[in-house]
Amino acid sequence: MVGISEFLSTYLGYFFEGTGITIALSFFTVLLGSVTGTLFALMKLSKSKALKRIASVYIEIVRGTPLIVQVFILYYGVAQIIQNSGYTMPQIQVFGNDLVSFVSIVIAMTINSTAYIAEIIRGGIESIDQGQMEAARSLGLNHKMSMRFVIIPQAIKNILPALGNEFITVIKESAIVSVVGIRELMFSASVVQGTTYKIFTPLITAAAIYFVLTFSLSKLLGVAERRMKVSD
Amino acid sequence: MIKVNGLHKSFGNVEVLKGVNTHVKKGEVVVVIGPSGSGKSTFLRCLNLLEDPTKGEIIFEGQSITSKENDINKQREKMGMVFQQFNLFPHLSVLDNITLAPIKVKNIPKEKAEEIAFRLLERVGLKDKANAYPKQLSGGQKQRIAIARALAMSPDVMLFDEPTSALDPEMVGEVLEVMKELAKEGMTMVVVTHEMGFAKEVGDRVFLMDQGIILEEGTPEEVFDNPKMERTKDFLSKVL
Repeated sequence: MVGISEFLSTYLGYFFEGTGITIALSFFTVLLGSVTGTLFALMKLSKSKALKRIASVYIEIVRGTPLIVQVFILYYGVAQIIQNSGYTMPQIQVFGNDLVSFVSIVIAMTINSTAYIAEIIRGGIESIDQGQMEAARSLGLNHKMSMRFVIIPQAIKNILPALGNEFITVIKESAIVSVVGIRELMFSASVVQGTTYKIFTPLITAAAIYFVLTFSLSKLLGVAERRMKVSD
Repeated sequence: MIKVNGLHKSFGNVEVLKGVNTHVKKGEVVVVIGPSGSGKSTFLRCLNLLEDPTKGEIIFEGQSITSKENDINKQREKMGMVFQQFNLFPHLSVLDNITLAPIKVKNIPKEKAEEIAFRLLERVGLKDKANAYPKQLSGGQKQRIAIARALAMSPDVMLFDEPTSALDPEMVGEVLEVMKELAKEGMTMVVVTHEMGFAKEVGDRVFLMDQGIILEEGTPEEVFDNPKMERTKDFLSKVL
């Protein structure tokens, strides 16, 4: 047991650094994904066949291909584009990574998450009884006002818990970005593996941290959900 | 006030309305009866374009609401509608349910809108429920609030789509009472209902719809006591 406490006292701080980056990465992904996801959800719900089509195709492609492939394409794609443009990016560090790497990985993760969030939001809006829209329209509210004052406030109650779950999913899936060298929790584990020649301890440590993150988040969500039910 | 010319409505291959022609005059209470599937509700829902007619024309207060350039939101302010399932907004209090449209659509100041709302709540006998939420109300109370909500826009005509069909029997009376009051005050009303007693007592004119057309129309006495069509007799013998 001496080995473990020594291991933790030496490397835990390093793991925590990675954890912070994982949280930041996931947070920005869900935040941006919520904006773009809303956009795609509205496209899918719109009357325009073209917009519907674009949104459907996007969602199907993203959901039908592995995240790791998307990450590779985006990550190296963005780097390639920047290189081809002949512009040298300033070397700025954000969240333990250089700016371009961090931003391209957030973009890659967001593109992925957008598809899932769009479906969450579409589902939330469609779960509201048709009669609500009809009642609002019959009172003279136009479509936009009806959405804003009647449909969305009710849909939010269905959407927020699902969005919380998406956050949890993104935290777990973000481990994949360590393969392109983004410094986050999983990457910390690999680095510690390399320096200590231990295989399992770093992995178990990372797994424990992921679990604590997702478990406490889901407990937190449960509390929030119960609160919202009370105000119903 | 409302003129309907050659109204057709199809859902896919099913033609629900097969040419409805009629004219509802100001101050008149028109009661629409008929077997289920006869197109009564569809007819009513076409009047404020909740259903888009496939063919035909509807003219409301001199304006063709079926023409492409028309902004239907303007006429909907003048046409109140009451639904079978009440459709109160569950996330808003009774007061906010009633004042939402006046404030947002007509830009009436909040205090003024609430004053109107309280007057209407008094009229439907639910003044003490202003701060309640819909799920705390009984079906009959919900429907009376829904009527107050529609009246808050001071409509010229009220459309009722089977307003008592989703109610427990003991609550039907309180809703019909409010509707009778409304009729007495001279409100123009189009009421789709299965309440034959209401049709007889309050209706100025009764439409009997069957298979997508108005089969027979006339005063309640004419339709109920001396029906001309065999189909009407058949229907009435089943419901009376």
